[in-house]
Amino acid sequence: MLSGLANPRQAAVQLMNFGLILSTAFMMWKGISVITDSPSPIVVVLSGSMEPAFQRGDLLFLWNRNVLAETSVGEIVVYNVKGKDIPIVHRIVRKFGKGPEAKLLTKGDNNVSDDTELYASGQDYLVRNDIIGSVFAYIPFVGYVTILLSEHPWLKTVMLGLMGLVVVLQRE
Amino acid sequence: MASTEKITVYNVADLRATTDDALVNYLNSLGLVQSHTLLDTRLALGFSAFLLSAACFAWDYKFGFESTKQYTLIAVILYTLLNGALTYWIMFVERGTIYVGSTKDGKTRVRLISDSKKPQQKGEAPLYKLRVDVEDVKTGKKEKIELERKFSEWFDASGRFVAAPFQTVLAQRIPLVGKLDPKRAVVAAAPSSEQNVIREQFAETPGYTAEILDAIASGLGESSTTTAATTGSSANQDAGKKRRK
Repeated sequence: MLSGLANPRQAAVQLMNFGLILSTAFMMWKGISVITDSPSPIVVVLSGSMEPAFQRGDLLFLWNRNVLAETSVGEIVVYNVKGKDIPIVHRIVRKFGKGPEAKLLTKGDNNVSDDTELYASGQDYLVRNDIIGSVFAYIPFVGYVTILLSEHPWLKTVMLGLMGLVVVLQRE
Repeated sequence: MASTEKITVYNVADLRATTDDALVNYLNSLGLVQSHTLLDTRLALGFSAFLLSAACFAWDYKFGFESTKQYTLIAVILYTLLNGALTYWIMFVERGTIYVGSTKDGKTRVRLISDSKKPQQKGEAPLYKLRVDVEDVKTGKKEKIELERKFSEWFDASGRFVAAPFQTVLAQRIPLVGKLDPKRAVVAAAPSSEQNVIREQFAETPGYTAEILDAIASGLGESSTTTAATTGSSANQDAGKKRRK
């Protein structure tokens, strides 16, 4: 089974195959990023603040180009707040002005109040640049795996180890 | 060349990989000079694609998405092209080639392409398919030989590779190999009566199980004397008979 590793070329091929699996996954992700113009084109809903539209674990697909119309009231968007790592999925409820400087206010469908408390201190509204995409499609529940993985980090190690083992042990 | 390593006989991929390795070792031991151009090209394509994506990862990690997205776009396109070229290379140029080599005088070039066939029905044995292209470098004349043999001809029941019967098949069917390894080729043509005598001898001696015969055959495969060749083939017959039941 491991005899292939004695031959340097065979070892190089196996290393290459493993590397190509990782790099292909990464480049596909980057390809979708470039097409949708979003740094994070697929996100998983982590909280219940958009219920009943989205549940925890739903997988959302984002589109970040304004081809036909501007991002406007009613759209569900994902935005980043300075100083916070995790993007937030909420609906735009108010819009003042036009173009990239338009002031946007968001709110979770299931939340009592709007998002001003979630913004960075001193920030009262969002601009177009804070948004990393509008939701245009979703798949319910399949993202739950990533919630499990982020809540139990040791699962990641186990998964990566298993994948590596399979690739090294099998030649086809 | 007898292998002490055991493989799972139910894993066709393993059977084929082990056979491929043995075949390459055998041909090199006969004095053919192996050419690695095909595999090296594949490695170059694959690793450049991998390095490109590693670079893309690095700049994305360091400078963020917005400021580098033009470069990322170019990298994605390049990566797709490189990966496409790699796929093309594997599917249409290599086509499962396991060996390319030429004789020491450089007059003949040989290329071997292997494949395996899983059993289609219950009770069938998995097959090893081998295509051999022998080319006369000077005249460009090509000769194509195709083989389809059962793996069970050179694997014993416990999954050990037995070199002698395998080499005999090759020497017998590929004239170039037969010329380089005349002993194996001659064994195939030896009168059957002689083989029967040897087999009867073994059969009459108590305590000779199939395993021992295989071990003898594989042990003799290393020191290739004339007797080794004959006993090797007779052991093969015996073992083969047992497995074909």
